[in-house]
Amino acid sequence: MNRTYSTALNAVMVVLGAIGSILWLGATFRSGETYYFWGIWLIVAAAGVYLVRYTLENGRDELLALVRKSLRSVVVPVMGIVVAILIGGVLMAITGYDPIAAYQALFYGGLVRNWHISVLNAAPLIFTALSVAFAFKAGLFNIGAEGQYYLGAMGATWASLYLGLPGIISIPLVFIFAALLGAAWNVVPAFLKVKTGAHEVITTMMLAHVARYLSPVFIRANGGDPATSLHPYVTFEILENNMLPSFSQFMEHANYRVHTGILLAIIVALVINFLLYKTRIGFEIRAVGENKDAARAQGISVGKNIFRALLIAGALAALAGFNQVNGLDHKLFENLQAGYGWNGISVALLAGGNPVGVVFTGLLWGMLDAGGQFMSRTTQTPSAIVEIVKGIILFLVVARYIYTAISQWWKRRKQKQTTAVAAGQA
Amino acid sequence: MITFDFIVNLLVATIRLSTPITLAAIGAVICERSGIVNIAMEGIMLIGAFFAAIVAFYSGNPWLGLLAGIFFGAIFSLLHAFATVSLHLDHVVSGAVLNILALGLTRYLMVLIVGHPGTSDPIPVGLSDYQFAIPVLSRIPVIGPMFFNQTPIVYMSFVLIILFTWFLFKTKTGLHIRSAGEHPLALETIGVSVYKMRYLGVLVSGMVGGLAGAYLSIENNVSFTEGMTNGRGFIAMAAMISGGWHPVGAFLAALFFGFADALQVRFQVFKIVDLPEEVFIIFPYVLTVIAVAGLVRKSRPPKAVGTDFMIERSED
Repeated sequence: MNRTYSTALNAVMVVLGAIGSILWLGATFRSGETYYFWGIWLIVAAAGVYLVRYTLENGRDELLALVRKSLRSVVVPVMGIVVAILIGGVLMAITGYDPIAAYQALFYGGLVRNWHISVLNAAPLIFTALSVAFAFKAGLFNIGAEGQYYLGAMGATWASLYLGLPGIISIPLVFIFAALLGAAWNVVPAFLKVKTGAHEVITTMMLAHVARYLSPVFIRANGGDPATSLHPYVTFEILENNMLPSFSQFMEHANYRVHTGILLAIIVALVINFLLYKTRIGFEIRAVGENKDAARAQGISVGKNIFRALLIAGALAALAGFNQVNGLDHKLFENLQAGYGWNGISVALLAGGNPVGVVFTGLLWGMLDAGGQFMSRTTQTPSAIVEIVKGIILFLVVARYIYTAISQWWKRRKQKQTTAVAAGQA
Repeated sequence: MITFDFIVNLLVATIRLSTPITLAAIGAVICERSGIVNIAMEGIMLIGAFFAAIVAFYSGNPWLGLLAGIFFGAIFSLLHAFATVSLHLDHVVSGAVLNILALGLTRYLMVLIVGHPGTSDPIPVGLSDYQFAIPVLSRIPVIGPMFFNQTPIVYMSFVLIILFTWFLFKTKTGLHIRSAGEHPLALETIGVSVYKMRYLGVLVSGMVGGLAGAYLSIENNVSFTEGMTNGRGFIAMAAMISGGWHPVGAFLAALFFGFADALQVRFQVFKIVDLPEEVFIIFPYVLTVIAVAGLVRKSRPPKAVGTDFMIERSED
């Protein structure tokens, strides 16, 4: 096919997808429902353009193969979600709540009524999940993303309190500063892993607790004053030029709290995807993750790539902190149980470590949280049921062997039947 | 300021604070010796702590609470065994998922059973009411109050350290468990099921983990608080590694962490140095990192720990 056509179709797809995402993510259903649906349709249209381009380039057989492949990769998570929702329903019924009313409230709240809260929840989760997923690719488990999150939040607050340049220069500087701090926080685990073999699960986990308890010290040094009731456990507000623009600045009806951090998260996810699958660095990191000895035999330095992977993972988790401070709160609260790091692990596992998949699972998790709150408010069902459903989803999705076992059992049964039939005929 | 009493108190507190870490660590030793990485310890402890407090509250009997803690810890650990041994799931992934599940489950049941989130209502009788001094021995200065004037689960932890060491190194089953972690194929060849040994290892760690949780909620405390384990399961992992995958080594390492914790509390209370209290809180965590970094090279993990073992069934 002609190259120009291909480029043009690509451009159309990107534009449709971008506008669709902005409309969809920025929409508040209560007043801007048209934007909400327009956004969805535009995203669907972008997907359609992609399929058309793919067919024109590779032919129909390839398209069918692609569809089959993506269906197969989606079927396990979807089955996990459905079964988990059923189990959660049974659990609610046993413990005396109405599962149908609860789930109605959950999905209505999460997808429609409080969609903007889902989006707000998703943004930091996407960042921390990208962090965990990236480390996974190098065969490392960055279980302490929570700690890097605090470092990023502290760095972003500190820089945003004092950096008074125009936003277009200032915000990127804060972004980079937060990322660098997060990366620096992982230097110790990376160093210990390479030099002594200390397991990163323990070192990053312990440093996460350290970072958690450093944040109150930082807050007290930057405006938090337990002696006053005005702001005992919170820093000063950051300078206005360092706040991320909110959707309401360019979209009518958008909720004033929804900020562009979610778009940033999606862009970073795409960049990470590119880094992992299209660059030399990504290739080396994946090679080390797959098989250390083989990578070493190819002349790839294992230590160097462990460093790279953990430092980039630290930077990504720190961006979640940047997102919360510069986008949502505009100050740093003392919150020792933020949990974005821990939840990021689930989101990354659910997406199978795929950076683009993380965007979707992040939105799913954010939706479940927002919907769960709405559900507990309107139907008095404890929102912790959502935590259990999440845990079950995760278990069913990561335990892929269940499905292999089921299909094997099914095949064996079929074989037996056919042999029985054959025997009967004979 | 630093008197004789201060030091004795510090050492007694060391034992008390190290007990949950000791228990979780010796459980993890058995588990990892059988070849299964158990970072679900945090979740197991949380489940144990929750059910111990609930049963102790409603029955009014802390001993029933203790049994409930052990029982539910074991049940929860079976999930880990099922996922890693039977479903061949990555051990670290399964552990992380179970930790998350435990947090959600206890939160939900908290609202359901207790009626409000946060901290459960105080139990009428705690195990700390059963503190007893062993005659004669408890009179020995320093050692006496440390080891012979304690509460029930602390005594149990002493017994379990000896019992587990004997079990691992002197019994046939212990040998089989160790073989499952060192060379599973060889074990299978002599006709012992690796699956069974690994299930057993995880189950034992679940029971001891549940006991550690019960210690937190009904002996060292009188109620359950959400997330009350606060990273102790991971510190126990560090103790296990620093202790060279040996129950006695793990106990000594746990004592070290308990000492750091006890010291930290005293620094906070007596304001010996004028620093923010958080600096003292992070002290044990920093120490854990240093310990893991410094001692890990000297100890060797079981050869097959963390690896999957799958028996190919012949199709018939």
